[in-house]
Amino acid sequence: MTVAITVQAQPSTGRERPASLLGTTRSFVERRAIWLVLLVLIGCAGLLSPVFLNPINLFNIVRQSAVVGIASIGVTLVMITRGVDLSVGAVISLAAVLGAAVMGGQDGNVAQAVAMTLLVGTLVGAINGLLIALRGLPPFILTLGMAVAVQGSNLLYTGGTAYGVVAPGYRDVVNQRLGPVPLLVLIFAAVLLVGLLIQNGTLFGRRLYLVGGNPEAARLSGVNVSRTLFLAYTCSGFTAALAGLVLLARSGVSSNFAGQGYEFDALAAVVLGGTTFEGGKGGIGGTLAGVLILLVAFNLVNILGLNFNAQLVLKGSIIIGAAALYRLAQRRD
Amino acid sequence: MFGIRMVNALRLGPPLLAGFAMLMAACAPAPATAPTSAPTTAPKPAATTAPAAASTTAPPTVAPTTAPASAKPTTAPAAPAPTSAPTALPAGTSPEALTANKPVDTAAFKKNPPWKLAISAGYLSNSWVVFAQQYAKYEASIHPEFAKDIVVTDANFNATKQVADIEDLLNRGVDAIVYWPVDDKAIEPVLEKAIAKGIPTVNVGGGYLDAPGVVSNAYIDQYLLGEAVAKRMAEVLNGKGQIISMLPIAGTTAAVDQDKALKDVLKNYPDIKLLDTQNGDWNRAKAKSITENLLQKYQKIEGVFSPAGQMSIGMAEAFEEAGRLQGVKFSPGDEYNGWLKYIAKHPDINTGIVTFPPSAGRTGVQQMVKILMGQPVTKGIQVPSVFIKLEDVAKAAEMDRPDDWWSSADLPEEFKPKS
Repeated sequence: MTVAITVQAQPSTGRERPASLLGTTRSFVERRAIWLVLLVLIGCAGLLSPVFLNPINLFNIVRQSAVVGIASIGVTLVMITRGVDLSVGAVISLAAVLGAAVMGGQDGNVAQAVAMTLLVGTLVGAINGLLIALRGLPPFILTLGMAVAVQGSNLLYTGGTAYGVVAPGYRDVVNQRLGPVPLLVLIFAAVLLVGLLIQNGTLFGRRLYLVGGNPEAARLSGVNVSRTLFLAYTCSGFTAALAGLVLLARSGVSSNFAGQGYEFDALAAVVLGGTTFEGGKGGIGGTLAGVLILLVAFNLVNILGLNFNAQLVLKGSIIIGAAALYRLAQRRD
Repeated sequence: MFGIRMVNALRLGPPLLAGFAMLMAACAPAPATAPTSAPTTAPKPAATTAPAAASTTAPPTVAPTTAPASAKPTTAPAAPAPTSAPTALPAGTSPEALTANKPVDTAAFKKNPPWKLAISAGYLSNSWVVFAQQYAKYEASIHPEFAKDIVVTDANFNATKQVADIEDLLNRGVDAIVYWPVDDKAIEPVLEKAIAKGIPTVNVGGGYLDAPGVVSNAYIDQYLLGEAVAKRMAEVLNGKGQIISMLPIAGTTAAVDQDKALKDVLKNYPDIKLLDTQNGDWNRAKAKSITENLLQKYQKIEGVFSPAGQMSIGMAEAFEEAGRLQGVKFSPGDEYNGWLKYIAKHPDINTGIVTFPPSAGRTGVQQMVKILMGQPVTKGIQVPSVFIKLEDVAKAAEMDRPDDWWSSADLPEEFKPKS
């Protein structure tokens, strides 16, 4: 992680933070601050409800976070480049419906369905990436339009009812537990690991920060900005499709709008995790903490047994409180 | 700053509301909806009741707040006996019923065929309304008086667009409009305009509205439905046990009426303890997550009140994965195919079905036929929810069909959606 940050600082033109040891340390603490917030939240939750720290409950939280979490990984990469991807919700819906449609209730079709779904999701991401990288369209409006178009295609394809039957074997396999650990948690962890490797261990990962920090400087220093953007959005399409497949496994398919709202969840998690709209900083590690904060809040209000209206107030407060605490931790440093 | 701009652009609502909605959306793992925006964003059978939600807020004269509490316990007949064949639920005790029997003079709408029928859909994005639409088309097809072409417009949850849609329909010279609203209030003026032109309007979205712009409603009574579901659950639990309740989007008529029905019924069953009431927003994934959390909180849950089959599946799966499906009885859900399929495989948890029939679309067109012939009708015609006993549920389940599908034996194959 620190490697990426150091590299990021190099091409900056003074607007960015200096590439000093201090800067690196600061960013180190900045990145950990969100984890501190998560720990505080978990501590409070543990005090408020004895059930909360029960391992099954904790695994449930991670499992529930898999859909948003996986989609957030791609969105993080995009947002490091100063972009945004609002099409992930629609891609999740499409992936869930398409996956079930190709499966047609037959276990034999699972591999084909997974491959096809990932391909289509990646393709949507690639189109986003192409139009942004080559035509310079603003990511916000482009991906918003893409969300509408994808949702429309989904409805056209299905004719209004979520057409398709999920293969029973697919759900059985993905929903199983290995000992106490749900397989979904391991899948999520694996995708996270790959994401971290890409972010921190590849040239592409480092270029994301360069492009996000200062696209012009990145271009002048020989980075192929278009290619980097293209790849980032393509990754986001891929992870959104994967998230859709996970949603399909977790809850079956029951709606053409199964993914509706996930784009906001992902965005909230990514921003909460320290990857801002300004780009050039943050990363997948922080996003994981952001996702977990959202899900802990959701779990906690259920476990406390608050009525619905109070739940909304508390959930909102937790998010605002987390953001405020995070800021505070950054400032103090 | 950018975030707020973005949210504005997306929600097209007042900035504060939009910001709040995003916040709320952010904290749930499943697509969450702020209650304020519920009627327009309801994702599922939500749609069916979203119109109803709007109805209650529309004219203050429509929903008498005093009626239900006192009237219900005395007048509502007992829940359908589990042993009987499909039975229509009792009618005539809900707030709607107070005005639904009001006669409507249809002389002004009588006209000679062919009639050009239009469907103004507030949205076509969930399976229930798609089936309701197909039922409407089917019914129209068996009346030769209707012209072959039926005009369908889809407002896609945009109330302003629905106003424009209906204006277009008036300009195109249609003879009759069946519709389900995004927002009753928003389209009331244009509906009144239609009526002034002699074009009758029938609401087929499952909700009920007594307003000058609506000639008649084909409606489903959420209170009666909730009451039948609650009574059946209480009977199966032998009047005692700890239960949880799963309701649709907070603030919708469905959620409010079902909740009230449950609590009214539980007054007669003091040994049934309602542990928790949650809103699963007609969302299977959300209902599942909530239930996973509740299963951690409560070591003993013996009964589940969940009238919407779509949420019942998510809940049952959570029980199943926690290894606790054996100890629980589910209330009747509706005839959502995914739930029927689930019950067919796990008959021991269930207690039958109380339907939420998409054939409201058909009933609405039948009502329209009478109106166009100048026959007397009433302000509302109840589409009866029917109790299906457990033995017959497996027969109703269409195992090869998608989950997102409605049991619809009386709808000919060529009118069924793609599966």
